[in-house]
Amino acid sequence: MRLEQRRIHIKDIQLGNETSVKSGVLTVNKEELISKLKEDKKIKDVKLDVARPGEKTRIIPVKDVIEPRVKIEGDGNGFPGVSTKMAQLGDGKVNILYGAAIVTVGDIVGFQEGVVDMWGEGAKWTPFSSTYNLVVDIIPVEGLKPHDHEAAVRLAGLRAAEYVGEAGRDVEPDEVKVYEMGSHVEEAKKYPNLPKVAYVEMLISQGLLHDGYIYGVNSQLILPTLLHPNEELDGAVISGNCVAACDKITTYQHQNNSSILDLYEQHGKTINFLGVILTPELTTLEGKFRTCDYTTKLCMNLGADGVIVSEEGYGNPDSDLLMICKKLEDNGIKTVLITDECSGRDGMSQPLADTTKEAVAVVSTGNVSHVVKLPPADKVIGNDKAIATLAGGWEGALEEDGSLQCELNAVIGATSEIGYHNLTVKLY
Amino acid sequence: MENTFDYDIVTNNPSVKDKYENIIFVDGGFKDVLFKVRDLVHNGAELINHPLGASIRMFFSPYRSIIIREKSEGNSEINKEYYINTIENSIENYNKQMENRNPDVVNSEDYSLIDENLLESAIGEFKRMQN
Repeated sequence: MRLEQRRIHIKDIQLGNETSVKSGVLTVNKEELISKLKEDKKIKDVKLDVARPGEKTRIIPVKDVIEPRVKIEGDGNGFPGVSTKMAQLGDGKVNILYGAAIVTVGDIVGFQEGVVDMWGEGAKWTPFSSTYNLVVDIIPVEGLKPHDHEAAVRLAGLRAAEYVGEAGRDVEPDEVKVYEMGSHVEEAKKYPNLPKVAYVEMLISQGLLHDGYIYGVNSQLILPTLLHPNEELDGAVISGNCVAACDKITTYQHQNNSSILDLYEQHGKTINFLGVILTPELTTLEGKFRTCDYTTKLCMNLGADGVIVSEEGYGNPDSDLLMICKKLEDNGIKTVLITDECSGRDGMSQPLADTTKEAVAVVSTGNVSHVVKLPPADKVIGNDKAIATLAGGWEGALEEDGSLQCELNAVIGATSEIGYHNLTVKLY
Repeated sequence: MENTFDYDIVTNNPSVKDKYENIIFVDGGFKDVLFKVRDLVHNGAELINHPLGASIRMFFSPYRSIIIREKSEGNSEINKEYYINTIENSIENYNKQMENRNPDVVNSEDYSLIDENLLESAIGEFKRMQN
């Protein structure tokens, strides 16, 4: 497969009377987009707003973030199996409004957090403080069941991304990236002496607000499955998960999965990258055993010498992560885990909910319990009641000047377990 | 009421209590549900779903529903040990996470709803495997 990602650098977003990209400025026809999204009868109203890097703006509660794109050559514009007709993704040319993001807001339940601060201390912790964000606030019709409400917000975000992405169709890109990889046989012939490495990406797959979708298939219903990395980079994987703000994988992060991009970068140099195995994090123990066996079997059948495993969430998924690690290592496959830590405010507690002695190579993407102090915003987009939820966890969380203290787990993408975030490690 | 076949639901969630048969109702918090499951697992019950949720946020839930199968036959010693370790680890983790936090009672109704929905998904997953 060969995918050409053509980046059009976006330097601002304006709301106006047309939808276009001129000299890096994305203008969005507000009324047209709102009326398009309201074609879904489950949606009563839509509010659009723009949040720019540096503005004293807080967005809360964020449901998903999506990168606006348009496929100009090859099959599968949009999100096949979800918002558009089924198509094979991974080949062709896509124009990307790089630096822009669609951010959906929708308080499906009262305890959602998911904060993006565009300035100051909060901005340091989320990767979406540096994108120009078109915030889409979805107000559903009354009496909508939670499943329908979640689906309406999820689809509205994807449709908004498709609509906005279309503005880039005829624009010349500032930068072009090519991702090309042949069959396993072809690549093994090219790089016979490089170690073969597979990437296992785990997805929360447990029900309402805890789901992921692959070509529209709810990952609760799948056995672990193999994708060409280009398919994920081309929009095959969608987030339906909105309770683990710091470490959920938004659709944007799937579209730009850092683990995939880094493995691609090393392909043909230090490794032979075999592809992505999407693995559901189920809730039953029997389901976890099956997933573990099946994931290991796929890695062995591929002839993997090494495997990178990334987690989504914390708690019961830790069991999957370590079970898979143990089984891979027991079968002679060197395994590296990518996960965040829940190691208490001082960082001294045991970081995961489970352990295994085989987990000897673990990359930490940050401590979700780390406390940050967020100053009051000039402008809140979304539901400011959600701030009370954010601050209400313990005594003294809300200070007199309106600053609030919260744990990193409330901040979108703060400890991304696929590495799409701002934290890093420096060696001295 | 839905027939829950050969499993029991340990729960402190009133809306789950009203929806299913075979309820072992716990009049208490999330932690008391974990304690009840621990007692049952030590007496030979099988743990069907994991006692913990999939994110930190769900630790703050005042409600939790866990599926078990009492005195299940065919459980090997390895399985029994796994269930015991899983519930004991879960309690340890719960205590660690809640050291500085209180259950989020302001949003009780929503947690009740999500717990009910996640339980429904877990039962669905379990049935897909057993049938």
